[in-house]
Amino acid sequence: MAVPLIFNTIEQTALSTWLRESTSVFGFYFILLFHTIGMSLVVGASAVVDLRILGVASALPLKPLKRLFAIMWVGLALNVATGIFLLTAYPTKALTNPDFYIKLSFIGLAVFTMRKMSIQVFEDTSLDEMAMIARGKTMAAWSLVFWIGAVSAGRLLSETSKYVLYGHLWGS
Amino acid sequence: MNYAHLHLLLNHFPIIGTIVGLALFLISFLGKNEDLRRGSYIIFAAIALLAIPTFLSGYGAQLMIKGPGISDALVQRHQSSALLSLWFMEATGALALIGLWQTPKSPHMPRWNVAAVLIFSLLTTGLMARTGNTGGDIRHPEDQTGQAATSTRDTVTEGTIGSIIHTFEPSPEKFSEAVTFSKWWWTFMMILHFLGLIMIVGTVGLLDIRIMGFLKQLPTAPLHRFLPWAMGGLGINIVTGLLAFIGLPENYIYSGVFWLKMLSLLLLGVNAALFYLTDIFAGVERLEAGEDAPMSAKLIAASSLFLWFAVITFGRYIQPLGDTLRPGN
Repeated sequence: MAVPLIFNTIEQTALSTWLRESTSVFGFYFILLFHTIGMSLVVGASAVVDLRILGVASALPLKPLKRLFAIMWVGLALNVATGIFLLTAYPTKALTNPDFYIKLSFIGLAVFTMRKMSIQVFEDTSLDEMAMIARGKTMAAWSLVFWIGAVSAGRLLSETSKYVLYGHLWGS
Repeated sequence: MNYAHLHLLLNHFPIIGTIVGLALFLISFLGKNEDLRRGSYIIFAAIALLAIPTFLSGYGAQLMIKGPGISDALVQRHQSSALLSLWFMEATGALALIGLWQTPKSPHMPRWNVAAVLIFSLLTTGLMARTGNTGGDIRHPEDQTGQAATSTRDTVTEGTIGSIIHTFEPSPEKFSEAVTFSKWWWTFMMILHFLGLIMIVGTVGLLDIRIMGFLKQLPTAPLHRFLPWAMGGLGINIVTGLLAFIGLPENYIYSGVFWLKMLSLLLLGVNAALFYLTDIFAGVERLEAGEDAPMSAKLIAASSLFLWFAVITFGRYIQPLGDTLRPGN
C-alpha cells in the first residue's frame, strides 16, 4: 500500500517544518514535554483511583476521589492537543507505524474504561463505598493494564517507525 | 569547577559517610538506642543519594585525566570497584528507607530489616573503602609499598583481600554491553522509567496537592499509604537511570540539563529531609477532611511538585540538549 500523499503535503506546511527544524526550546521537545506531563497527569491520577479501588490505602474515602477525574480529563485534553502537533510534525512516521495504532487503541480502551468507571461507580449516588469497590474492581484492573499498554506502545514508537518523513526511511 | 574537581569533592561523602553511618549503627546495638539507629539509617539513605552524582562525575573525571602518565588498568580497577560498591550502596539506602518507613508505626525497626542493613552496610563500607583506595592508586603511587611506583602499568597486582573482592567486580565494558546489546532492552528500560515517573507523580502529586489545600475532602493519613508506590517508582527510576548512564555515558556526560536533573533530585532529597525530619510532617500527618495544613507544609509540598516537574522537564530535554558541556570545564 502506498504512503498517502497527504502526509507529504502536511510535512511541507510551514507549521510542520517549523516544529521539526526549529532550534527554539519551544519547538518539538517543548510539545513532547507537555505530552509527557499530560501523560503523567492522566495515568497518574487514574493509577491512584485504580489502586485505591483495588485495595491500596483502604482508609482513604473513595467518593472524594471523583475529583481526580477532572485531572484525568485535563491530562487527556493536553495530550490530544500536543498529540495533534506531534502528528503534524511527523505524520508519515506515526501513521505508517502499526505501533501507533496499537497505542491509540490502548488509549481508546483506557478512556472508555475511565468514562465507564466515572459513570457507573462515582456518579451512582445510591452506592456505598463497599458497593462502589465491588462494581469498580474489574474496571480498575483493566484501566491499569490499558494505560500500561498505552505508555509502552508510546515509548516503542521511536523504535518501530519505518519512515521518518515522506519518502525517507528511518535512519536514512 | 570541572568533572575531576567535582568527583574529588563528592567522593568524600560515600567513603566517610558510610563509616560514620556504620559506626552509629553499630553503637545503636549497645543500649538498643532506636534514635541513634534511626540517625544511622538517615545517613545511609542520604549517602545512597549522594553516591549517584559521585559515581556519574567519575566518568567525567576519567575523560579528563585519560592519557599518557595515567594507567588505564588502574582506572579500570577503580571503575569496577565503584560499580560494585554503588549497587551495594543503593541497596543499603533502599533498606534504610524501608526501615525508616516502618518506624512511625512501631518503636523498633523490624528485625529482618536491621539484619539486612547490618549485612549490607558492613559490605558497602568495606567496598567503599576499596573504591577509595583504588581511586587513590591512580594518582598516588607513593602509597603503594613494596612495588615499583610506576604509574603507567598495564596490569595490576592485587593483594589477598583485593583479589577476592576483584572476582565480584563487574567490568565497565561488559556492564555497558549488557545494557546496550539490544534496542528492545533499552526501550524496555525506558518504558519502566516512564512507569516509575507516573507512579511518583500520581502518588506524591496527590499528597502534595492535598497539603497545598486542594481536594480537602481527603484526610492525609491514608494518602501516605500510597508513598511506598512512589518510593518503588523512584527505585525503578534510579536503577534504570543508572543502567542507562553506564550503557551510554557519552549521551549524558556532556549534557548540562542532565546535571540539572540530578541537582533537582538532590534538592528533592533535601526537601524530603526538611519535611520528614522536622515537626512539619507531624503537623500534616493526620489532617482530617476539611483541615488546612500550615504554610510551612504547603511550601514544602509546592516545592516538591515543582521539583518533580523540573526533573521531568530536564529529563525530556536531555536528548536535544546533549552537548552543552565540554570535558575539562
